[in-house]
Formats: sequence, C-alpha cells, structure tokens
Amino acid sequence: MTLTMPAPIFEIEDLRAHYLTRFGQKIQAVDGVSFSLKEGEILGIAGESGCGKTTLVSACMGLYIPPLHQSSGDVRVDGKSIIGMDVEQNRKDVLGRLVSMIPQGALNSLNPTRKVKDLAADMILSHDEKADKQEIQGRLRERFERIGLDAELVLNSYPIQLPAGMKQRVVIGISTLLNPRVVIADEPTSALDVTTQKSVIRLLFDLMDQQIIGSMLFITHELPLLRHVSSRIAVMYAGEFVELGSTEQVIFDSRMPYTKALMGSMLSAEPGQKSKKPVAIEGAPPNLAHRIKGCRFAERCPEARPDCKENEQLIRIVANREVRCQYAE
Amino acid sequence: MLNNNPALKHIVGRVGWYLVTFLVAVTINFFLPRLGDANPVDTIMAKVSTGLDTKSARVKEEAYLKEFGLVEVDAQGKVKRDAQGKPVPTPLSSQFVNYMGMSLQGDLGSSILQHPKRVSEIIKTAIPWTIALQLPTIIFGWIIGNVLGALAAYKRGAFDKILYPMALLTSAIPAFCFGILLVYFFGIRLEWFPAVGGYDEGLTPELSGEFLSSAAYYYVLPFLSVFLLVVGGQAIGMRSMCIYELGTDYVKYAKLLGVKESKILFYMFRNAMLPQLTGLALALGTMVGGALIAEIIFSYPGLGMTILTAIQGNDYPVITGCTLLITVTVLIANFSADVMIGLLDPRIKAVQSGGK
Amino acid sequence: MKLFKNLLKSPGFLLGSSLFLLTLVLALLGPLFIDVDTRTRVGLAFMPPSAKAPLGTDHLGLDMVSLLIQGLRSSLYVGFLAGTVATIVGTLIGVYGGYKGGLIDDILTVATNLFLVIPSLIVLILLSSSLDEGRSLTLIALIIGCTTWTWSARAVRAQASSIRARDHVALARINGYGTFGIVMLHILPYLLSYIFMVFILQTATGILSEASISLLGLGPYDSISLGKILNEAIRNEALSDGAWWAFAPAMVLITVIVFALYVLNTSLEGVFNPRLRK
Repeated sequence: MTLTMPAPIFEIEDLRAHYLTRFGQKIQAVDGVSFSLKEGEILGIAGESGCGKTTLVSACMGLYIPPLHQSSGDVRVDGKSIIGMDVEQNRKDVLGRLVSMIPQGALNSLNPTRKVKDLAADMILSHDEKADKQEIQGRLRERFERIGLDAELVLNSYPIQLPAGMKQRVVIGISTLLNPRVVIADEPTSALDVTTQKSVIRLLFDLMDQQIIGSMLFITHELPLLRHVSSRIAVMYAGEFVELGSTEQVIFDSRMPYTKALMGSMLSAEPGQKSKKPVAIEGAPPNLAHRIKGCRFAERCPEARPDCKENEQLIRIVANREVRCQYAE
Repeated sequence: MLNNNPALKHIVGRVGWYLVTFLVAVTINFFLPRLGDANPVDTIMAKVSTGLDTKSARVKEEAYLKEFGLVEVDAQGKVKRDAQGKPVPTPLSSQFVNYMGMSLQGDLGSSILQHPKRVSEIIKTAIPWTIALQLPTIIFGWIIGNVLGALAAYKRGAFDKILYPMALLTSAIPAFCFGILLVYFFGIRLEWFPAVGGYDEGLTPELSGEFLSSAAYYYVLPFLSVFLLVVGGQAIGMRSMCIYELGTDYVKYAKLLGVKESKILFYMFRNAMLPQLTGLALALGTMVGGALIAEIIFSYPGLGMTILTAIQGNDYPVITGCTLLITVTVLIANFSADVMIGLLDPRIKAVQSGGK
Repeated sequence: MKLFKNLLKSPGFLLGSSLFLLTLVLALLGPLFIDVDTRTRVGLAFMPPSAKAPLGTDHLGLDMVSLLIQGLRSSLYVGFLAGTVATIVGTLIGVYGGYKGGLIDDILTVATNLFLVIPSLIVLILLSSSLDEGRSLTLIALIIGCTTWTWSARAVRAQASSIRARDHVALARINGYGTFGIVMLHILPYLLSYIFMVFILQTATGILSEASISLLGLGPYDSISLGKILNEAIRNEALSDGAWWAFAPAMVLITVIVFALYVLNTSLEGVFNPRLRK
C-alpha cells in the first residue's frame, strides 16, 4: 500500500502581477511569489503596507481587474489551475467558492440597503442560479446558528442595526457560505479591540475545525499577532517573499535582516520581547516602477554589504527555512 | 400601534410637517399681495364707473366691496355701517379666515380683469395644458436622466465621454435661455415647429383627432426645452452618485464574493437613487418654476401665461389663486417623494424604529 | 499664498474669473468709452446692427449697446446685492443653528426647510406683484436675497455642525468664551472659504432670479436690466420678427456670467477641498 501525498490544497507558483498606469508605466507589485498550503493549515503573511499584500490577494483569487494584470505564474486549488479563465468563469467557479476573501474593513462591506439574508442569498444564487429559495433560507439559518449568531434576528436585519462585532461575524459567515477551500483573511483583526480580536480568531479556528474552511491565508502587518494564529509565516517585502518558515522560526529566530528589523520595530507582549524598545526601520520601500538591481532591502538594511545591491537575491535554505538573502545564516 | 410600524410613523410625521408648511404657504399667499396699497375694487371701479353719478357709483362700489369680502356684512347679508353710515371694513384677520375657508372649498374668488369670471374657471382651462407639459417632462426627464447617468458611470468609455460634456453644457445654460434659443432656431428660423401657442389658431379645444395632433405638434418645442435640461441635470448628478457607489467597500466585497454583475449594478442603482430622490424633492420647486417660464416663452396656454396676463393686469385674485395651486402641488409632490424615500431607504426605517 | 498659487494653476479658476472680470470691466468701465444713452432714439424699431447702432435697436428704436451695458450694470448690481443679503442671512441662520444644536437648531431647520419647499419663484411673484410701482433695483435685490437664502443656510449649517465637534471649539468653551466669541474666533475663520463659495453661487442665483422675475414682467419699474430686455423683446415680438439682436446678446451675457460663476465655484471647491477631487 503506497501512501500518496494528497495535492496541496493551494499552490502558488512563481506568481507575478503588475499594474499598468495611465502613462504606460508598469509597476511589478508581485514579483515571483511561491508557496503552498496543506489542508487544515494556516499560513500567515506579514508585511508593511505597500509590500504588495493586497495585490497578492487579488492575484491568488485569479481576480484581475484592470489596471491590474497577470504577468506570469500559476495558482492551483486542489491541483487544478485557476489562472487563465475568463472573467465570468472566474466569478462563478472561483470567487467565493474555491477561494474566498474576508475583507479588511468588514464593517463597511455590507450593502446598507440590503437585509443580511438577501445579501447572503444573492451570493448563493450568483453561483447556483437554480437553487431553491426556501432551501437557501434554511441553509442560512443553520450556518448562522453554527457561527454563534441569532439567525432569526441577524438574517432579517439591515447592517445598520447590527453592532460592529456581529457585523464582523456576518461577513465571515457570508464569505464562508460555500465552504471555500481557501480563505484569505485580509487584516481581519485590525481596528478591533483585543477581546473582539480573540473571538474573531477563535471563530476562524472553529470554522477550520469543522472543515467549513479548507485552509487559510492570514494577512497582517502585525507580525507578532501570528504567534497564536498560524503554523507558518511568510514575510513579504517589495513584492517578494523574503522569509518563509515556521512561526517559531520566523518570530523568534529570524535570519533575514528585514524580518529582524520588522520584529524589532513592533511592540510585543511576547515573553522575552517585552523589554525591548521598538526601533523604526529607516527609509522607505523601493519604487516598483523601475527594475531593481540586487536586494530590494539593501538600501535600508543594517547588515548590508556592498555587493548586496549588485547580485540578484535568490531564495536559499538557511536553518530549515527559506530566506531571500545572500548573506543570511 | 404607531411604535410598531416605523413606516407609518414616518408617514404620519411627514404629514404633520407638510400640514404646517401648507398653513405657512397659505398665510404667505394671503398676506404678501396685500402688502402693497392696491385695492382690487378701485381697479374695477376705474373701468366700470365711467358715466355714473356719485350715488350709483357708491352703490356699485359697495356691491364690489361686499363681493370681495372687504366690508362686513350682517346676518341678512346687508353691509354693516358705522356711525357715519360708511361701510365697516373687514379686519384683516377675518379676511384671512374667510380666505382659508373659501380656499379649502376650492373657491378662489373672482378675477378682477375678467370680472365676473371666477378664478377657478380661468384656472381650469389652463391647468390641462400645464399638467400635460410639466408631468411627463419632469417624470420622464428624471427617469431617463438618471438611467443615462447610471449608464455613463458604469460603462465609462465612449458613452461617458459624449454624455458628460453635453450634460455639463445643458446644465450651465439657464432654462429660459434654452427655451428662447429653441424658439428662435427651430421655431422661427428653421420653421420646423411652431413658435407660439398650444394649438393651431383656427381650431377650438376639443377631443378630436385633428385637435390632438395639432396640439402634439405644438407640444414638441416647449416639451424639449424643459425635458432636455432636466435630463442633463439629473444625468450629471446620477453619474457622480454612481461613480461613488461603484467605488464603495460593499461593491468591492460583493465582487470578491462572486456576486453577479447584474446584481451589483442593481445595488449601485438602488443606492444612488436615494439621494437623487431627495434631490428631486428639493428641485421640484425649481423645475415647476422653470416649466412655467417655458410656457411664457412659447405662449403656451397654461398657468404660466395665466399668471403673466394676470401680472400685467394686476389681477390679484388670479395671481394668488395660481400661486396657491402651484404651491400646493409642489408640496404634494414633495410629500410623495419624501414618503417614498422613507419607505425605500432602510437607513431611515432603522432610525425611525430606533436602530441599535 | 500657496492657496493662491494652486488657484492660479486651476484652469477652471482662470476661465471663470477672467470671464467674470471681463463682464465686470464692461459694466463698470464701459460707459467711459462707449456713449451710453438709453433715452435717445437712434433709429426705427428693431433695426439690424449698423454703424449708428452696433447691436441694432429695440422696439422703441433705442440703441441696444447702451441698453445692454445699462442692463448689465443693473443685473450685476442686483446679483451682488441679492447674493450678499442671501449669504449673510443664510450664514447667520446656518452658523447659529449649526453651532447651538438642540432645540434652536431644530426650529431653524424647520423654518429653513419650510422656505426651501415653497418655491422661491412663487414668493418672488407674490411679493413683487404687490409692490407695483415701488419696484426699484434695490428692492428687488433685497426681495431675492430674502427668498433664496435657504440653500446657503443649509450648506453653512452642515459645515458649522462639523466644526463644532472639533477640539479647539471644546477648548474655547472650557476656557469660558461666550457663544458670540466662539462663533467669531473659532468657527467663522474656518468657514470663510466656504462662505465665499456660497456667496458666488448666491450671486449667480441672484442674477438668474432677477432675470426670471423680469421675464415675467415683475422687473424693476424704472430701470433696465438684462431680464427686462428679454421681457421687452418677447412682449414686442422680436422673436417672430427675427430681431435676434434684441434678445440674443442679453441672453449670452446672462449665460456667460452665470457660467463663469459656476465654473469659478467648482474650481474653488477643488482647491479648498482637495478630497472632493476624485
């Protein structure tokens, strides 16, 4: 009897995506990202704003709305590629069904003039036109109860009538209605108080345990937050992954200078980190409209050496994780 | 009972407010024309009293004063007199109460210019023309303007690049200028359409095919002069609203969920409509005024012309009758728009029911 | 100063202000260079443009150019005066209601909405028709100002309301400033640019309202205005006679002024409130 490894649930292979500005400039916002997710796994993606996280999300969903275009690369869900479909096919088969997103600013994401149940029904019907309306309401009720909401009350309300915490749950509920294989949570806990943050994370874990969600990408700019959320972390900078390893490795034992600087610039309540004063990283990320020679972090890197700016930085395996730094060890 | 039904509560609230506005409007309608010195009876007397001796003139004058409610009468309808035998003038407050009473019954008094014709009669002949001109223009203009604006916002591209400048232009030209331009070019220079009047001079108003087709022919220019401007104005507003809605978070989220495009367009339209409806309620007064002026430019036999002739002849009862009617109509239209918004916008419904 | 530089960069501002200044110059300096005589006949009724009368004659044989310049002065005067009155009334009501809030605000809002809903044209007609022979330009301007303030009141109130919520106002209140002091020192300065824009729109409204009311025949009794020129043209059948000079120039002037003011206002909006530019 041979044990065959099941295909990873989510595979990104050398993905590149760019923006075309009105003046014809090409901005390579995602420049060669690769990773894969196993079923039941949570991968955290950490990076400052402007590193390309948002573009990566769109690209992972195969959703390219001009001026965003795909340059090259592949995205596979359960082994099947979702790149190259036409817009309508992408909408129907991929969005919300294979890969679903929980947006940043969930509080404004619900149409104010639509009752929750109608919005949810819109979503279901958009993917399955022949679905029975009664059956849909039944499904909605069942699912909302499962995620801890008073279905009767919430489904019949307008967004304005719900408190912020409930709205967040509603958004999570709607995004996961079709049991997506991959859920991309884009900064789901920013702008929330600590208690609500915890309950949101717990809800996401529950949904994964109940196998409603297949796997998850958890995107945040708060690297320390991922300590209790993901099993692996990818650190993103200027359109590339610069470090990819287990959570412990990346947070406590990072080898990439940028990751070290990132951790150093954050306030953390973690043991061993409390006494350290946060130090901001000087300078700014590079302009991606121009072809960049050598390491993109070299300008601001405290450990940079002269030839860092000359040599193309490839991914190396250092101390059991991926690092994009020629001198890391 | 009221607390359980937020929609009803909203309607009742608006009814109350509009009643108050109506009272204020009637008060303004009554008092403003009387600010000046003009006495309607004097104007009539000037026309009618030539050749009469003093005594018969006075009798006639008192008869008119009585008719216009300017002097007090006793229970038998005879004019009350004071110590010197002169008729007792009715205090302004009683005149006002009488006026209210009469108006509510639809009795707007008699015209001075066309005495003894009743004001309501004069208005009755003019109203169908005004309604025919205003109603379709405003309603269709509003609908089509908004649809065009929504299309421009959604499609962008060539459609937008043509529509936007055109609409901008039409909203910059004052309404009456546009009317005059149309009359001059299409009516007089090119002679494609008649420049003046509501129908062919040789015909009398009746429900015949000949008359109706003539009326339709005369209808085109006045209709266009108001319609095109309404469409232009609405299109610009709706276009901005739709562009805004398309950029909102909830549209982005719906797209990410894979919601159908037609559904998303429906969201955009519905949410953009609401401020447009509010705008309609506010702009109604201006639109009606604009249409009246268009009537005057085209000598269209509606309320506009009626007011114009009344103004030229100092015919106060007709002026106030018309203004009262127009104000009441605008109030009713405003009220309807208000109620519709209350029913359609869940945000208002929620506020009414004490949203959490 | 940076503000001014930004203004100069905006095409809308340049277009609007130059057009408007042009008409102002024509109105104010015109009589110095052109012989403005609105009483002497220079020809027969509705004569086409000629050497004696560059823009033809009206129904009485008077020189159109003189009439237009005179009318322009009157219309601009009415527009400015009406605009000023409307802006002052509207600003006072708006700021007071917006700042005080509560019952006073509610009462003022109800009053404003009242006048908003009742068509101002109607009120204008009623007022003007009763003041038969006293209708001077000033009186008309005052009447227009008193009937068109509702829009500014609403706009200013919204702004005042949001400024009231700001920290420096709360600080002022804690420091014991009275209502008048706070309004003068802490609210009005922030509103100045907004009030200026409101004033421009109100002036445009004033000019349009004057034209409308004159068109109806309720214009100034003794003077000539652009609207009155139009009214006389229509009344004396200049349209059917094809005497375009009797009404087209007046129309063009009105359109140009109003258009210039609108464009000016939009450009100011873009500069003062860059967030609006999307």
